[in-house]
Amino acid sequence: MSQNAVRQDLLWAVILGVLVLILSLTWHWSLVQQGFKGQLLTRLQEMEEQEAARRLEGVMTLNLEQTYGLHQEGKALFVDARSPREFQELHIEGAVNLIAEQLAGKTLPAFLQDIAPDRLIVVYCGTVDCHASLKVAELLQGRGFTRVAVFMGGFRVWDEAGYPVDITP
Amino acid sequence: MKPDTPLISHLKRPLAFLLRLSLGGLFIYSGLSKIGQPYHFAAAIQAYQLLPEFFLGLTAAFIPWLETVGGLALVVGCKPRSALLLVMALLATFIILIGLTMARGLDIDCGCGLLADRQVGWRVLAEDAILLLMAAWLYATLLPRSSVA
Repeated sequence: MSQNAVRQDLLWAVILGVLVLILSLTWHWSLVQQGFKGQLLTRLQEMEEQEAARRLEGVMTLNLEQTYGLHQEGKALFVDARSPREFQELHIEGAVNLIAEQLAGKTLPAFLQDIAPDRLIVVYCGTVDCHASLKVAELLQGRGFTRVAVFMGGFRVWDEAGYPVDITP
Repeated sequence: MKPDTPLISHLKRPLAFLLRLSLGGLFIYSGLSKIGQPYHFAAAIQAYQLLPEFFLGLTAAFIPWLETVGGLALVVGCKPRSALLLVMALLATFIILIGLTMARGLDIDCGCGLLADRQVGWRVLAEDAILLLMAAWLYATLLPRSSVA
């Protein structure tokens, strides 16, 4: 490979990069400007809250005591929407791990295929502020599960209350 | 370098063409999906917790267009080797970022733009590494020298 050819390739790559920079600045100027002005993080936060509020509209929510009651009854399926690593560290006793990524494909995860569509499913994530549970709940509803509820307090509240937890998957 | 056998030489051109189209198409798709949702992509970058807010918007605007233009250049065959250099630079950056994120133990969506909700992890890292190898091989071996302006 001649050095001249590589040099020429690099030069054109830089020219292409500059053209792309101009194009992206022109196309997304308001986004770039918000970053420069220090307003972008606030905007992203607002968007996340709006998204969470939209998801919250179509889902049943549970507080700590309601969730504990359902856990004691033993009829509901508890779904932990946190990452597999967090789940393996500690989770609500009897819960199964399910992240949104697993619901992106056409086929359902094996353990969900045997679950009746009208079985009560309680989804939770880490804290009140996390939105993974709402996302998973929405996806489960989209897959035909009719009784999906979200435990809003999340695992931290459950753990702090001293309710049953488990480390085995 | 050893000269290619006639069979390999015969297969190189169609293979290079297919690889160029595949890589280009992949990057166009990935770029366009992010251009359509710039704030979502900005949020995905923010989740990596590496960039200050000042550069967040600029990066979220720049990367999708770089992917799209790089992909287009590959597909139409306009300065394809330069486009491959851009694509390789992008992929190398992604690999470093994903590696750093995994080392820091962050469980976040990769923001890759190809499929929804893919977590940062070995799978994404391997995919990017394979793409980088494909691009490097294409650059070094397959593209005809005569395509250079």
